[in-house]
Amino acid sequence: MYDLIFFLTLLSLGYFFGRIAEKRHFRSIIQREQQLRHILTFAKRYPLNATEPTQVALVSGNVVISLDYFKRIVAGLRSIVGGRVKAYETLVERARREAILRMKEEAQRLGAQAVINVKLETASIYKGQQQQVGSVEVYAYGTALY
Amino acid sequence: MKYSNPQIPEGINVSQEHPLKEFFILLAGVSAIVVAAVFVLALLAEWLVRFIPFETEAALVSDGFAETTLIDSQRSTGDQAIEDYLQALSDRLTEHMDLADGMSITVHYSDDDLVNAYATLGGHVVVYRGLLEKLNSENALAMVVAHEAAHIAHRDPIVAMGRGLTVGLALACITGFGDSGMSQQLLGQLSLFTALSFNRDQETEADRVAMRAVLAEYGHIEGAADLFELFKQQRGELMAPELLSTHPLDDSRIQAIEAFAHESKIRPGNRAEKNETTPLPEIILQLANDNSYN
Repeated sequence: MYDLIFFLTLLSLGYFFGRIAEKRHFRSIIQREQQLRHILTFAKRYPLNATEPTQVALVSGNVVISLDYFKRIVAGLRSIVGGRVKAYETLVERARREAILRMKEEAQRLGAQAVINVKLETASIYKGQQQQVGSVEVYAYGTALY
Repeated sequence: MKYSNPQIPEGINVSQEHPLKEFFILLAGVSAIVVAAVFVLALLAEWLVRFIPFETEAALVSDGFAETTLIDSQRSTGDQAIEDYLQALSDRLTEHMDLADGMSITVHYSDDDLVNAYATLGGHVVVYRGLLEKLNSENALAMVVAHEAAHIAHRDPIVAMGRGLTVGLALACITGFGDSGMSQQLLGQLSLFTALSFNRDQETEADRVAMRAVLAEYGHIEGAADLFELFKQQRGELMAPELLSTHPLDDSRIQAIEAFAHESKIRPGNRAEKNETTPLPEIILQLANDNSYN
């Protein structure tokens, strides 16, 4: 019985705080993406206009976002029946966009107009450990041109 | 070449569906499947486990049964005398039951305040001091011992164990906590499973067999009804709830007892036709006296 109360408390804490954090984060991401729209990002490896002399620098952005208890339980249930793990999709989306934003912020400090050769690395923290609330790491890096 | 950065609409990678909706649909669906699967598994286990021979069941629990908490280290010499008396009583009663070949019942006495008695794997019956102190006659005690022996004769402990273990393992597989620690815990709780999970039909059947044995031994069931008086009393007082938690008393059980009494033309509690009850031996009566001095 106490186990159930404990579980429901964790579940509602996870739901309410996780949801507040997620909404706030998405608002912030959309706003900052708007501010940094003028910095263009490319996956290609070579400068856009190779004839002009330009300075280059490595820029990167790194973010780690934790699961909440609610998401973990929903994903656990989902893993039994299969299908889109919607609870994790938002998490990965947030991490990816936040990492690119942080990279762009660094590029903006250098006065760059574009970042080329942008790559994303992702890692799961607490990988494979039972009874642990995991987190996702996304690392974005590229070559800023200024 | 002119490059631009168009604004990408939201909601491509992220579903706009409310997360609680997904949660409740999944929860309801998965629970329904799990409940159905566990129910089927429990039925199968109950059916299959009856094929385990009694000797195998006895061998399962023979290692270290006596060293478990069931029989604690505080035994005095008097306890052995009580155990011998209980064993003799059980042997007399089980002669009137048709035990399967090779089945034997071993009675243990535990020096503990619990008002309880239970049957467990391997034909072991444990009677606590607390219960002995509450009983008024040998007939009531005979009813208790016969009831527990009837559970064993009917193989209720191994059925309960088979069901408990199967359900436990199935749930461990689904929830993914199936490491060795969990299995250890499961095995450790075997006696708990067997003590707690006899169902109403099993209890009613054990009552019936027990009353038949008591009737055959004493020629009447006077005094045996005291046991049910004790049940009722406990239900009213909420005192020492162990007996009720392992032997839930409900109206259908009482009705079955009354019907049996009626059939055998003996009414429990009818003072006009009162039969002589056999008193408890001195060693048992001494227990209650010792306790009252403390």
